[in-house]
Amino acid sequence: MLNYTIRRLLSVIPVMLVVSIIVFLLVHLTPGNPAFIILGEDASPEAIAQLEEQLGLNEPLYIQFFDWLKQVITGDLGTSVYSAQPVTELIFANFGPTFSLMVLSLLFILIISIPIAILIVSLRKTILDPLFTNVSLLGVSVPEFWLAILLVLAFGVTFPVFPVAGYMPLADGFGAWLYHLLLPAFVLALVEIGIIARMLRDSMLDSVNQDYTKTARAKGVRERDVLMKHVFANALIPTTTVLGATVAGLLGGTVIIETLFTIPGIGQLLIDSIHRRDYPVIQGVVLFIAAIYVLVNLVVDLLYAFLDPRIRYD
Amino acid sequence: MKKKLALILFGLAATIALFGCSSNSSSGSGASGGEPVEGGDLNVAMTADPDTLDWMYSGESAARKIGWHIYEGLFALDKDYQARPLLADGYTVSEDKKTYTITLRDGLKFHNGQDVTAEDAKASIERWLKVSSVGKITTTHVDSIEATDDLTLVITLNDPYTALLTDLAAPKASAVIIPADIVEAAGEQPLTNEQLIGTGPFKFDSWKRGNEIVLSKFEEYQSREEEDWGGLTGKKTAYLDTIHFKIVKDPQVMLNGLKTDLYDYVQSIPLDLYDVVDTTPNVEPAISSNGYSVITPDKSEAPFDDIKVREALHAALDKEAIAKATYGNSEFYNLDGALFTPDQTALYSDQNIDDFEAYDQDEAKKLLEDSSYDGQPVKIIFSNDHAEYKKIAEIAEQQLEAAGFHVELESYEWATYLEKWSDGANWDMVVVGWSPFFSPNQAGMVSQDSNSSGWYNSERWQELVAQWGEAEDEAAQKEILAELNKTIYDELPFEKVSNLSTLDAHTSKLQDYEDWYGPRFWNTWKSQ
Repeated sequence: MLNYTIRRLLSVIPVMLVVSIIVFLLVHLTPGNPAFIILGEDASPEAIAQLEEQLGLNEPLYIQFFDWLKQVITGDLGTSVYSAQPVTELIFANFGPTFSLMVLSLLFILIISIPIAILIVSLRKTILDPLFTNVSLLGVSVPEFWLAILLVLAFGVTFPVFPVAGYMPLADGFGAWLYHLLLPAFVLALVEIGIIARMLRDSMLDSVNQDYTKTARAKGVRERDVLMKHVFANALIPTTTVLGATVAGLLGGTVIIETLFTIPGIGQLLIDSIHRRDYPVIQGVVLFIAAIYVLVNLVVDLLYAFLDPRIRYD
Repeated sequence: MKKKLALILFGLAATIALFGCSSNSSSGSGASGGEPVEGGDLNVAMTADPDTLDWMYSGESAARKIGWHIYEGLFALDKDYQARPLLADGYTVSEDKKTYTITLRDGLKFHNGQDVTAEDAKASIERWLKVSSVGKITTTHVDSIEATDDLTLVITLNDPYTALLTDLAAPKASAVIIPADIVEAAGEQPLTNEQLIGTGPFKFDSWKRGNEIVLSKFEEYQSREEEDWGGLTGKKTAYLDTIHFKIVKDPQVMLNGLKTDLYDYVQSIPLDLYDVVDTTPNVEPAISSNGYSVITPDKSEAPFDDIKVREALHAALDKEAIAKATYGNSEFYNLDGALFTPDQTALYSDQNIDDFEAYDQDEAKKLLEDSSYDGQPVKIIFSNDHAEYKKIAEIAEQQLEAAGFHVELESYEWATYLEKWSDGANWDMVVVGWSPFFSPNQAGMVSQDSNSSGWYNSERWQELVAQWGEAEDEAAQKEILAELNKTIYDELPFEKVSNLSTLDAHTSKLQDYEDWYGPRFWNTWKSQ
């Protein structure tokens, strides 16, 4: 297991290298550069050329890339062209809200989708099953931004239960933190709840009439125990795979949700940096997100061994 | 189960019904709620934070709208856009109009507790001459600046440049007074957060980039006494304890926040949401002048280097149709061909603007046929970050095609647009808006030999601007302003579409608030 983990961690290096090349090229080949943005519409060509030189943008692209890569290897993601703050500092300052949003959404997903799936499977011969199939399809199909607007109108404006926007860090109190995040986290979770609940239900239905469950029932095991100890436990493996992708997907979803709820997270940082052509920040944030994707996948792989003792990596 | 389903459906129907049932009430900006109340926090939503809060360095509107709460200059514009003393107590001008002796008000303090002296003013203005886009224009006229005692500053000019006070009062990249030691430390770089020290009624507290900028009341603020000056000068009282400028990108979020008291003032609402603002209870619109939109041809090469082609362009554009389709509500645009807008009373001249609306499709066709235009496609570029530029470009395209031009449209997001705009090879015409400017030499759409003016080069224009700077009095300046208007329609360096206004909104709890060129939160207070 340890060897496997180390091997997987080492495999992150080429992945990150490829990501860094792609993001660097994409960012630098896109027209518009920070000098134009910083100096604005009144800027003279001389002033722009001078600032480009100051920012090192007049160097050939490969030299700029290797200069940046050297920095990154030493753990320095550079400095923001816009705010002059270190990129790592910016990422960690903005990751707090995003992480909070993701954790709360994941919590929503788990505490809603798992009981629903178990309930549906236990009541699989009633009208609830087809009803669930259709409602969950609706949940998966509804665009997040539209749902967010409706929920804000309903529970932020018409019945002002939650704030329509904003974020409070956990340091300012758990209540305030939760109060500001409940609505955005629920919106972010809703689509994923539909996916995970359906996935779990389908996996459980696959197992429900397998020989080992029939044997368990024949031995007189209660239906509740059959479902939880045999059917649910076996359905967890494929669901965990989807859950891994979901965590990564949540990170993408936060970009929209952070904009709609004015949450100063990593998605907002990325969008602002793209508009400002703040190259070091864009590159740093994309690398950071790529690293999270890779790590989440690693954790999922390691979880398999925990969930299914038959799986051994060594 | 059926009962539960019915209950859910009823709930949904009730919610939908409630969304559609907002009551209708409206009142104008500037309501007065009696005796002012001291204290309270004001939450202001704005779409983006500025690159820097160094208002001397930056011409950005976001820097201006926050900066004028923190900083003050020797002179500032009043409500009629006339330069009046602010930190200056008074001034005298020598007979040859080349020496300005300015006396500072006694007892002024910076936010860090230091006294304001003439040495601070000298250092600040010298920095302004180097870093400000306006200062860089003024610097050619300035010979020397001397602090002759603690409160007296003498500015000596190379020539009798009467626009000096107007330049010193310009609210764009402004000549604000900051401590001399900060000037020395900052040099020509933008001020850091620790260096944001001014003399204004509010002082800088904190800045979480991309999230929030906080200002707080400056208790030792020394106000002027003139109650009727308005604008950026005269009597200023800070009633509020703090102002929180929050970054909110979505206008719908802004309006929802305004309805639920999350925000007290929201900036830059899209004009098509005016009816929503106007009909929302306890919300009031705030409309202020915001310069004008233009279509600028590239005059450095064919086809628009030929005045005949520009005349055809001028005749082909139905500006009323463009403005109506773009801005909709006539509250937000007005068709006026002058270089300045009518609210800039000292600068506005309505002389020689009859040629502004010259729409005549047949005449345009004839002019085009007689010109050197060979049918080559003309490319209009614009930034798609601004919906109104897109509309202007699309309608202009139709009108130009009808007159015989072949037109191509290309849109870019703002950063790309700025780069494309810098090189004439990328465009034949641009659609862009210009925020208000306060002297002819600050007008970007006619700045000589630059991309922003489409490489306009005119000796006549330069001569008139020089004359304006040396004009004896306001009457002489008005004559020159009328000549500048005439030059625009003789040489056609740009096509003005219409003057425009911007839409903000605020809670009706905000009392005694006055619309002007951007939001100002002194002399205003929040009722309970």
